[in-house]
Amino acid sequence: MVEVRLENVTKKFGRVVALRDINLRFRDGKFTVVLGPSGSGKSTLLYLIAGIYKPTRGRIYFDDKDVTNLPPNKRNVGLVFQNYALYPHMTVYENIAFPLKLRKTPQRKIDEKVHEVAKLLHIEELLDRYPHQLSGGQQQRVALARALVKEPAVLLLDEPLSNLDALLRVKIRAELKKLQEQLGITAIYVTHDQAEAMALADEIIVIHRGVIQQKAPPKKIYEEPANLFVAGFIGNPPTNLLKARLVDGAIELGGSRITIPARLPRDGYIVVGFRPEHASVDAEPLENHASIPGEVYVVEDMGKEKILTIIIGGEMVKVIAPPTAEFKPGDKVYVNIPYRRIMLFDPETGARIEA
Amino acid sequence: MGAERLRSFLTSRRGHLAFFLAPALTLITIFYLVPLILSIYISLTPLKYWQLNRYLTDLSHPLENYYRLFYLVTHHPDIGKVVITTIVFTGLTLVVNVVGGLLLALATYLMEERFSLFYRTLWLLPRMTPIAVYSLLWYYFFHGSRFGILNSILLSLGVIHKPVWWGVDEKLLPWGAWMILVYVNGLVGVSFGMIIFYSALRSIPREQVMAARVDGATTTQLIRYVLIPSIKWHIVFVTVWELLSLLTTYAHIFLLVEWGLIDKWWGTTWALFVFNTAFTAQALDQGLAAAAATVLVAIGLVLGLITLKIMGFKELMIEPRGEL
Ligand SMILES: Nc1ncnc2c1ncn2[C@@H]1O[C@H](COP(=O)(O)OP(=O)(O)OP(=O)(O)O)[C@@H](O)[C@H]1O
Ligand SMILES: [Mg+2]
Repeated sequence: MVEVRLENVTKKFGRVVALRDINLRFRDGKFTVVLGPSGSGKSTLLYLIAGIYKPTRGRIYFDDKDVTNLPPNKRNVGLVFQNYALYPHMTVYENIAFPLKLRKTPQRKIDEKVHEVAKLLHIEELLDRYPHQLSGGQQQRVALARALVKEPAVLLLDEPLSNLDALLRVKIRAELKKLQEQLGITAIYVTHDQAEAMALADEIIVIHRGVIQQKAPPKKIYEEPANLFVAGFIGNPPTNLLKARLVDGAIELGGSRITIPARLPRDGYIVVGFRPEHASVDAEPLENHASIPGEVYVVEDMGKEKILTIIIGGEMVKVIAPPTAEFKPGDKVYVNIPYRRIMLFDPETGARIEA
Repeated sequence: MGAERLRSFLTSRRGHLAFFLAPALTLITIFYLVPLILSIYISLTPLKYWQLNRYLTDLSHPLENYYRLFYLVTHHPDIGKVVITTIVFTGLTLVVNVVGGLLLALATYLMEERFSLFYRTLWLLPRMTPIAVYSLLWYYFFHGSRFGILNSILLSLGVIHKPVWWGVDEKLLPWGAWMILVYVNGLVGVSFGMIIFYSALRSIPREQVMAARVDGATTTQLIRYVLIPSIKWHIVFVTVWELLSLLTTYAHIFLLVEWGLIDKWWGTTWALFVFNTAFTAQALDQGLAAAAATVLVAIGLVLGLITLKIMGFKELMIEPRGEL
């Protein structure tokens, strides 16, 4: 197992900058998730680590070894592609055996290894089939088996679950996590699904337009997003973000004035954020809360909870309420947010303002 | 009643199939089946000098032309040369075309796109050049005088000391003539394989090639285990196609023989023999030519089927996606 390090890595395709000045450390034996929207440079990052692409600038290290100019076949990484990329003319057995065959491993050893990894992934009975005879979930396991069979120093996964249905995704997600812990392998997992990232990661790296936004454990990413992008990207429903005016150091929101125990500029603008699950909707304002008057717009009953959409000063926010909450559209209410749950951002830079 | 039955036939599943296949079937019938049957028929008559009235209904000795052909092949030394030339020419040019096309396709696939396009266009030039012009080019190139391009180069380099008639010199035959034939036809033929193979390679998903690289494949291993197996069907197709067209091609060869660049018999293939026998003033023996043509078709058919069999055509037939 190795630690993967990127130093000042930039990757351009012609004039498109896919990754800009990346400095990262992927810790040995940890499960790191790279999270970002489509086109943010996630696949490019993996392909750089795998050696399929060469960085335009910067260096890549596996432990202390500089691998920047090593071709993929000299790096010993396992890569699972989004579309699995199984070889259609080979059986499942041949697909899994392929990396070993290329290394001229003795046939007896190949056989042993293939069966071992097939057993681990519960695909022993599929070994004689061709990829087109498999379901999506089965193909995904075969792709994972092919990546694991050569005991890679790093396991790279490029949205491996995105072609599966929601139920299977949640099931395999848990298995993946278990597997990684069992093998103690350094795993780098790319996804655009924030729930997947939260569930799997020891550490999350949020990336947007080729720039790292934040690198932190899931809990920290959730509670202390570094900027507007991270705050808006993590959580379901996402964080409510409202632009507000500062008047004499107080925040003016939805016609009410909130004073927060934090040092703020005397005037200008600020972005106020809070998570739907952290606020409550009540008939009156509460003590020790920022209370903003609003009107119920939509009520969505999800069974275990209700999602309320409230209009505050012309903007909509979402708040999660207990299933027993009795609200109907048109109700005049207060959205109460505990002071410590309020996040503030600089509207110019997007950076979070520490209270 | 009739219209009703026609309509119900056309809306049935078999009717649909018949409807869509009809144009192709009609074309094949008119342009292939009818001439084939006609030439088989002519091969059974003693037709010569185009005297249709006199010979065309004479079926008294139907196999006479086949006996004559067999006799010629086994006893006439020049016709023996034609047979050997055909086998060598077809075999060698086939290998050059398929292997050469494959190598070109792989090279252009693995090289950078901006070079690739230029390179591929270059190899297409022979095919875009009119046959007469293209043949003339090689006529000058291999010409036996000291002004022939090859001769003048070799003379000035001091490799040879007097000009060589590459395609007719007794000492160089038969290989002199064969090499020119294979060279001239091979150069036109490789571009076909190259284009088919190149586009087939391009349609392999990018990720599969990346996966092979990550799995540890060198370029040679990538070609051997991933690229070539992925275009196996295209290789079969090009092989069969080139085999059949090489068996029947004669345009370049006709000109090169006619202009005296290559030996009359060591440079004549079976297809050219058919043409000469039927249409040139010395022979005008259409019955014999038809018999030779029929034999050629039969051989082509057998060889084609054998190739498909060897290369595992059945295995390559894809199961339909569900019920059609
Ligand atoms: N081979 C390439 N040539 C040119 N541009 C590319 C190439 N690969 C990626 N890009 C560009 O680089 C940027 C990042 O692409 P990348 O594939 O890494 O995104 P991604 O985060 O993996 O997106 P997705 O979630 O859709 O897979 C995009 O703007 C893309 O258009
Ligand atoms: Mg991607």
